[in-house]
Amino acid sequence: MKEAIAYSIMGLGAGGFYALMAMGIVVAYKGSGVINFSHGAIAMYVAFQFYNLRTEGIFRLPWFDILPTSWLNIPVRFNLTDGQPMNFWLCVLLALLTSVLIGALIHYLVFKPLRNAAPLGKVIGAIGVMTYFLGVASLQFGSTIPNPEAVLFKDKLFQNFLGLGLPVSVEALALAGCAIIVGAVLWAIFRYTRTGLATRAAAGNEKGAVLLGYSPDKLALFNWVLAALLAGLAGILAGTVTGSLSTGKFTALIVPALGAALIGGMSSIPLAIGGALLIGALQTFTSTWMVGESWFPSWLQSGARDAIPLIIIVAVLFLKGKSLPIRGNIEEKRLPLAPYPKRVGKYVAIFVPLGFILAAGLPGDFLFAGLTGNWGFSFTTSLVAAMFGLSFVVLAGYVGQISLVQISLAGTAAFITARFVANEGPSDANPFAVGGPHWPWPIASLVGIIAAVLVGLIVAIPALRIRGVQLAVVTIAASISMWTLFFDNPSATKLQGGSAYEFGTPHFFGVDIGSTSSSGLTDNPKYTLFCLIVLAGLCVVVANLRRGSTGRRFLAVRANERAAASAGVNVPGTKFLAFGIASAVAGVAGVMTAYQTGSTAATNWEYGIGLSALAFCYLGGITSINGAILGGMIAGGGIVATFGSFHSPGLYSYTAIMGGLGMIATAIIHPAGQASIFQPLMRHFGSWLLVARGKEWGVVLKRLWPFLLGGGAWGAIGINPWRTDSWNRFWMIVLGIFLTLFVRNIVTQVRAAKAAKALPDTNSLQEVTA
Amino acid sequence: MSALLETNELTVSYGGLHANSNVNIKAEKGKLTGLIGPNGAGKTTFIDAITGFTNVSSGRAEFNGNDLAGVLPSDRAKQGLVRTFQSLELFEDLTVWDNLIVMAEETKWWSFLADIVKPNRVLGIEEQAEWALNLLGLGEHRDKLTLDLSHGQRKLVSVARALAAKPSMLLLDEPAAGLDTVESQQLGKHLREILKQDISIFLIDHDMGLVLSVCDYIYVLDFGKIIAEGTPEEVRNNPEVKRAYLGETAGEMQAEGGAAAARTLSGEG
Repeated sequence: MKEAIAYSIMGLGAGGFYALMAMGIVVAYKGSGVINFSHGAIAMYVAFQFYNLRTEGIFRLPWFDILPTSWLNIPVRFNLTDGQPMNFWLCVLLALLTSVLIGALIHYLVFKPLRNAAPLGKVIGAIGVMTYFLGVASLQFGSTIPNPEAVLFKDKLFQNFLGLGLPVSVEALALAGCAIIVGAVLWAIFRYTRTGLATRAAAGNEKGAVLLGYSPDKLALFNWVLAALLAGLAGILAGTVTGSLSTGKFTALIVPALGAALIGGMSSIPLAIGGALLIGALQTFTSTWMVGESWFPSWLQSGARDAIPLIIIVAVLFLKGKSLPIRGNIEEKRLPLAPYPKRVGKYVAIFVPLGFILAAGLPGDFLFAGLTGNWGFSFTTSLVAAMFGLSFVVLAGYVGQISLVQISLAGTAAFITARFVANEGPSDANPFAVGGPHWPWPIASLVGIIAAVLVGLIVAIPALRIRGVQLAVVTIAASISMWTLFFDNPSATKLQGGSAYEFGTPHFFGVDIGSTSSSGLTDNPKYTLFCLIVLAGLCVVVANLRRGSTGRRFLAVRANERAAASAGVNVPGTKFLAFGIASAVAGVAGVMTAYQTGSTAATNWEYGIGLSALAFCYLGGITSINGAILGGMIAGGGIVATFGSFHSPGLYSYTAIMGGLGMIATAIIHPAGQASIFQPLMRHFGSWLLVARGKEWGVVLKRLWPFLLGGGAWGAIGINPWRTDSWNRFWMIVLGIFLTLFVRNIVTQVRAAKAAKALPDTNSLQEVTA
Repeated sequence: MSALLETNELTVSYGGLHANSNVNIKAEKGKLTGLIGPNGAGKTTFIDAITGFTNVSSGRAEFNGNDLAGVLPSDRAKQGLVRTFQSLELFEDLTVWDNLIVMAEETKWWSFLADIVKPNRVLGIEEQAEWALNLLGLGEHRDKLTLDLSHGQRKLVSVARALAAKPSMLLLDEPAAGLDTVESQQLGKHLREILKQDISIFLIDHDMGLVLSVCDYIYVLDFGKIIAEGTPEEVRNNPEVKRAYLGETAGEMQAEGGAAAARTLSGEG
């Protein structure tokens, strides 16, 4: 028992860190009504900045050089000490200045323009900032994992603290003390200063504060800078308490901080501090003392620590979700319209063959010599990303439920499928392989997708009581926790040392439709066709849901839950259904991703990847199917990115930054996404190509079909054996058709010349159409 | 004949405040029952309580002989007890037609599977929706989004939407608010028309002209209590009602003044 108490006290260090973070979240919420998901990312950026200043004296600014020139650059990196360690207080000063800069930038560039946006828009803005900082950090700091020193009372220990028999570091207690002091200062600011009082007034009633002559913008600026300073302070003081963490894992510390802020009801600083210390103590108690007990399940050992904040968040929101303060803004915009899908069949009929032609035709040596494989792989990446985007369209676009857990559902489907599709255990080729019953791939995939649906429905249970921003809080916590609890937990997945599950090659009636082609690259056009068909199928399913009674109910719930209930719509049931469908769609995307790369590992399903995917889907247009497809095209590693990297190699590393920036810009400028801009273009192009020209195409085809068919057959059978690579089968058919038409044309010309009165080919065409 | 909708000592409290206390109301089948009262009298609370949007503290409400306690709002709507909202609460992303259809269609848990195969099924409810649309003169706006309509038209859509469900009782919350006199009279005619379709109406409004002219029976609510009930004529001449509406001085008005007050009440003055 003594030990248990000692361990809990050790956890107060982490608790103090969470408390500093939670206060920042509360301050930002009071000042602007935004639940700031990016708070952890800001703390992470400043922590890395501080570490680099201290060890090497390198100061960086939180942006990147977008100018392509080598002679004109945007300043980003300053080497202040020639690689030597820098004065401690100077480092603190510079790191805090960075925080102030970030706070002001966030206010002016993101949340001031978003002040009157729909709640979804604000959440998207915050997630955009988070994605941006994750991207900038990985660009600037790379994959280095700092090993920070303690800032407070380095290496000091209380031996046998309070007679409990265990040494407790002074740093941990000092950090908790710091949090309490900072909390007292904040409390005084909000209690006794004019700005603090005005902030509280505006948080209660923004209109009232405006009428009293306060500028909500100035108040918001003050609070954003204060919040960023708190994030920075947390990042600086973290020291050894958080240990050495990657950018992604440091950012994930937002979850316990959010939990603490929620305990404080997003408004009480003392309660938030208390909650934070409690979470910290519980975490250390669980992860050090409880896991040592014999009854504790072994598969939970490595994730137990991270399960605690999730449980607290779910519990708090479930119990008092409705009593959280909701800010009454002066004007609040609605979500963009979810358009009624039209011409779905026609689009499928055009784009599936067109996509196949692109996939089969563009790789190989025909168009881009030396880039074999790139196109095929990035095209399938886009298709799979579009499938994943559809899950956001169903849930966020149609029903207005912001779920950030979709990436974990996709991962669940992939992992479960992998377990059932696997055949043998470890071998010489892959000593880490995980064995399984080797079920046929369609059945294993189905099991995986069903697993994703089940997990999705469990996540949906809190969603029945809460909505909007609060749901985003729960789902991002679930996503982060699922990663540590399941994906990155070897005792649950049997994957050792970050290894991957192997996926076999899917066959369809004996035809190899796996992504690996005969050249050994992942560019098999048959797999692309498989993806195209699956994506087309999902599009039809989603479009039909939108067009039918389900879609009407979805949009009714999205528009107004009260009115929907009064219209006899079962609101919880409808949300549950949407979660189920979106989980299934995400599951399909997860399985298709796994087949595409041939394997799947924990790193494929980190929450940051899900946020990026959401960013691109939102950029494309989260309320429409076209938006999901466009989002897939521009997604990281997709065709647009690949095309871009022909011109500027290394564009890949900017994916997260671009996604984050694009997401913020879309939320501010055009919440309906980019697809709605392209839509009229596609429609007019489509009708020009097919409807207006249809008659003429018909006439041409009527005259030429025997030649097209014959030429094609000749190309496939006649010319092909001369070539050995299977890739060119498609082009041989085209070549055959082309040559046949060419020969036919010469023959017609010759005959026309012989018979002086005969009409040339083009005139006869006009005659028929007239 | 027992009443279609009946409340027995219905009380709704928010903390110490009794928004409705011991309200007894009977709305007969085939009749247009009215509930009037000044602002803040608890009229909307009463509708919210009956339709399940607020918790009842004590007392009971029965619809068609069934106790409504614990029945979900959506299930009350399915039983035929359908309401409109003072703030309209239309489905803004849907067309006028789809607004009506959402209300009218019956769905099963497997409806989404049927949608995947065939989204535009004939639902057998089109006739009713068409009737509601035409009754309120919204035919030409059928395929417009409700966002693109004027406030008056949106009001009518909210009534049409409730009608599309072919309810046995329609609860109208302030349908005349924001309408001008002509529109208000028009609405009154529509209400009588609706009654002929075997739909009983429970009307809440503070437009005395409308309520007194169309209702068969009227309840008067003030400070959460029923202070009077009766036919329009009886309510018109009830001194309690005059006091509630016009203040204490109205009670002092005697015989000759009473006629003037009645004119004021009926919206003519």
